[in-house]
Amino acid sequence: MDLIGLLLGLVLVWAFGIACLAAMPRRAARAEEPGGIAWLVGAGGLAGLFLATLWLRALSFAGIHFGVVAIALPLLVATLALGGWAVRRGRRSTQVSVREPLRDSLFRMLAELSGRSQSGAARTLWRLLLAWLVLRAALLFTEVVTHPLYPWDAWTQWATKARVWYELGRIVPFERADAWFAAGGTAYFDAGPHYPGTVGLMQVLAGNFLGRWDDTLMNLPFWMLAVAFAFAVYGALRALEFPALWALAGTWLVSSLPLANTHVALAGYADLPLAIYFCAAILACTRWLETREPADAALALLLLAACPLLKIPGRIWALLAVPALIVGLLPRVGSRVVAGGYAAALFGLLLLAQTSPVIMGYHLHLEFAPDWKALANSFFLYDNWHLLWYGAIAVALLGRRQLLTLQAAPLTAVIAGGVIFVAVVLLFTNARDWLSDQSTVNRATLHLAPLVVIWMLVVFRAWAQALQVATPTEEAIEPIEDSPHERTLPQI
Amino acid sequence: MTAGYAPARSGLRPLLSLGIAIVVVLLAYLAFTVPGNWFPSSSVKQWGVPDFTLPRGSGGAVNNEFIVAGTDASGQAYVAVTTDVRARDYAAITWNAHDVPADVDVHFLWRTDYAPRKIFSIPVTVEAGRLLPVVLANDAGWLGHVTGIGLAIRGTLSQPFALTGVVAKPSGAFGILQDRAREWLGFERWKGTSINTIVGGDDVQSLPLPALLAMSIALAAAAMLLWRRFRPATGMARVAAAIAIMFVAAWFVLDARWTWNLARQMQETIAQYGGKDWRGKHLAAEDGALFEFVEKARAELPATPARVFIASEADYFRERAAFHLYPHNVYAEPRSNALPPSERLKAGDWMLVYQRRGVQFDPSAGKLRWDGGAPVSAQLKLRGEGAALFLIQ
Repeated sequence: MDLIGLLLGLVLVWAFGIACLAAMPRRAARAEEPGGIAWLVGAGGLAGLFLATLWLRALSFAGIHFGVVAIALPLLVATLALGGWAVRRGRRSTQVSVREPLRDSLFRMLAELSGRSQSGAARTLWRLLLAWLVLRAALLFTEVVTHPLYPWDAWTQWATKARVWYELGRIVPFERADAWFAAGGTAYFDAGPHYPGTVGLMQVLAGNFLGRWDDTLMNLPFWMLAVAFAFAVYGALRALEFPALWALAGTWLVSSLPLANTHVALAGYADLPLAIYFCAAILACTRWLETREPADAALALLLLAACPLLKIPGRIWALLAVPALIVGLLPRVGSRVVAGGYAAALFGLLLLAQTSPVIMGYHLHLEFAPDWKALANSFFLYDNWHLLWYGAIAVALLGRRQLLTLQAAPLTAVIAGGVIFVAVVLLFTNARDWLSDQSTVNRATLHLAPLVVIWMLVVFRAWAQALQVATPTEEAIEPIEDSPHERTLPQI
Repeated sequence: MTAGYAPARSGLRPLLSLGIAIVVVLLAYLAFTVPGNWFPSSSVKQWGVPDFTLPRGSGGAVNNEFIVAGTDASGQAYVAVTTDVRARDYAAITWNAHDVPADVDVHFLWRTDYAPRKIFSIPVTVEAGRLLPVVLANDAGWLGHVTGIGLAIRGTLSQPFALTGVVAKPSGAFGILQDRAREWLGFERWKGTSINTIVGGDDVQSLPLPALLAMSIALAAAAMLLWRRFRPATGMARVAAAIAIMFVAAWFVLDARWTWNLARQMQETIAQYGGKDWRGKHLAAEDGALFEFVEKARAELPATPARVFIASEADYFRERAAFHLYPHNVYAEPRSNALPPSERLKAGDWMLVYQRRGVQFDPSAGKLRWDGGAPVSAQLKLRGEGAALFLIQ
């Protein structure tokens, strides 16, 4: 029974996020855009969960005790109000009844999900892929609701805060040892007292919907994030003009990264939420670059704001949206500006490293002695990433002339910055020691991995398109039959 | 991607190419790794824990495992097995072991009827706590009938390790492929390091599946590009589509293996925790005994959060006890076994001790001290096996 309460609570949070996004004014209706509904549903889930944690912060700041009524009632009222406003606005703009836009959107979504817009083998492939995705989601759901909190840091520095805040009904500070002794009982202590509290607040949220402390079920928001992210990725790929089947295949590639799956099944670390919010934020940025809709900008800012509140390296990840925007806004000089910026940042780090400073807890140095075997194991020999890094390197080589095309350039700028960031941390700081024991290298890489998959797809498609243009005499290749709506879109 | 391609029509040829490339890569691999006859007639021979003896060192059989607990005064331990096999029929020996310390020196020993007075030896590589197979086919001493095999362990063992069996293998082509398949499909259950790394099967693998598939794609793509040089009519766009299809198919192979592993893990998780409530799950977990004691301690603690200091030698127990005790205001050193000096504690604080040496309590005087420091007044509120809860007064 209490699990139903938890599920209903999470559905409410999800609906709240969707309503927030739907209520934001836009020139074009989302349902008219390819993948618009999927993006609304996926990004809505991510936005809703993050906004709900901000609401918990607001409640605590106002001195209001956490409780299901204090949390759920305002969210429900806001969802109804914002949803009503969105529907009303849709009716005004289309001069039809309230039901029609809703019904149309629903039908369109169901038609796309069922694969009816595909034909023949494509439809079979679509349904198999969808079933495969559902199977994975079911397996992960079972793990999440059955396995008690398991990984080390989850119970030494993340869920510690959730437990205290849930039981006390408010946010109380966690301090380092000296400050804890000095506080005389007013502050708390754990293995990571300075770590951000958003993950803990997601668990507090689940605890309140559940009505009791349960360090198994409180991790359900992680599963929700993963599912919402899959919707968002599908919507983003459709918006990037990938046909439905390829967009679903891309969603499967992103959703099947074994380390990401493990972070859902053994939920409790902040790495996967950070990876999800960062990737969705960059996708929202690229969407804004395309549409210049204030609503897309607002969503991008919201998702970017989540990054530093999830994990300290999120500050750097959030900053990496700047190169994407520079490249997108200044297509002629942007890539040179960004390359210069990265060179300047590396030069600055080189100078800084002379003094062995500590930046965000990492000791910077200049000794280059990576553990190549451990690196090879992480990226190429172990199954952390399936074939991601083989594919990424191959695509970077094959599609080197397409790295800076209009669609790929913003993503390339972010990926380049991300690779530099991860490389500096893993090769030129004390984190190098964590390479050999595999304790951090993959989790640090996880933050970037989902976006690398999408970048890989975009660059590969640009390469394939270039080849097709270069060989127009090639024998005719039969196109996949798509829906009439899709036929109006530029095909590759 | 390569949109606009009919998957059924153009998809089969790349899949066939990938299949052929996999076979070619495997054949090349076998050419380098099969030590002797590709198709030997002898079958695998194995010895289990009852066949093991320990002429030197300490240890013995425990729960179907042969535990090597330590070396003798001279820093050596020997494990011996009596055998009767023809050397030329068996090219490799594999010791099934786990938790072998990385810094220990391990040698494989054998004796033959060809040179009965001589004991031959060859080093064994330790990787990820396992012993890698020893290939003997080309060793000059691997002749005649092997009458005994063993392991020599030299150095101080930082931890005991376990042997579950030893296998003599003909190491033909099929045997090696079977071994690789077994490694790929080995069940990788959740462990402490899973959150950091997914190996993809057994911890130690001679030919990781991602590497095999990547090499096969590269080989097939190279062959296609070469083919295109002679048949320019085959457009590059078609080659690009084929590469994409091979990549996705190879990804699916890895994903099927991973999903199968996930399904097996789910069965194990359900067997351990299914149908239990929150409390029941914790009692069934690895730290069930600690959780049980902490639950009793919570009953002694006040309803409002109190300051509780945790004393335990193991980081794991210290941190787990802390986690179970929240929202009490817990203090547990995350990375050291140190306790704060007694003057930092005050009346009304609590101390939970779990499996820690150096904590002494004098019940008659009501004094508690730790690590030779100054004693504080305390009351014993709860006692368990290797565990206690004190109220500081």
